[in-house]
Amino acid sequence: MSGEVEQDWLDKKLQEALPYIEDDGFTARVLQQLPRPQARLQFLRPFILVAASALASALTYVLSDGGRFIIVEMFKITTIPTAWVVVFALASGMLVMAGGIVAAMSKADHAQS
Amino acid sequence: MELTDAGLVARVLVDDDQHAYGELVRRHQSSVRGLLRQLTRGDFALADDLAQDAFIRAYRNIRSFRGEAKFSTWLYRIAYNCFRENARKRKELVGINEEQWQSEQDPQTVDAGLRHDLMHALSLLPLPERAAVLLCCQQGLSHDEAARVLDIPLGTVKTNVLRGREKLKKTLAAWGQQ
Repeated sequence: MSGEVEQDWLDKKLQEALPYIEDDGFTARVLQQLPRPQARLQFLRPFILVAASALASALTYVLSDGGRFIIVEMFKITTIPTAWVVVFALASGMLVMAGGIVAAMSKADHAQS
Repeated sequence: MELTDAGLVARVLVDDDQHAYGELVRRHQSSVRGLLRQLTRGDFALADDLAQDAFIRAYRNIRSFRGEAKFSTWLYRIAYNCFRENARKRKELVGINEEQWQSEQDPQTVDAGLRHDLMHALSLLPLPERAAVLLCCQQGLSHDEAARVLDIPLGTVKTNVLRGREKLKKTLAAWGQQ
């Protein structure tokens, strides 16, 4: 018991010996020395994405002879047996769902930490 | 409503908001400067330089703060590292050996005033004990948090706190429990 009282007494005295230190311009001096924030060009981001997508589409169109390969591939798909198409659709759906679950779980972990 | 430390850190991370960081500095400057003043044995100018360095370093590395510990614990660790690096640079021998400590125990050398004596006794502790006592008994960190700050095993922190306390009690025995 006396040990506990002694411990409290020492802690109390130690804490009393640490008075609050007034800021006196300390924060201002720290802020002055911080590296400047990088220029924010976030508003340009959607424009850049749209422009890059448009450019990529145009290039694909030109290089693929007017997108002829799409018609050819679509035609090939119509010749695949229906059962295979169903299996393929199911597999794709499950893959997307699994991806979604993994992403949600990692988000939840991050939020908890 | 006042934002928590975590909220302010999030603002710094997402918006690079230096005002939010300023609020964090305002909140923690006293405890960080106080800790460094005692680690540097009362060299206020050096302590403030180190504190400034610590806050700037914390801002630069704020992305490495993962919120596993309290922001203040993370900050103390940076401040302590700044202190250690500076001590190494100055080739200052931090801490006083046992013999020297014992020789200081003559009651005649004890100055008037409990606070003064306490500071004096603290300054005589070897660095590992001084740092552990300051963090656990003065700043109120748990042993586990102090171990993170000092980057030493939990058992070592407990031992250092115990030893430091014993030495302080011996030095301050004359004051009793007033």
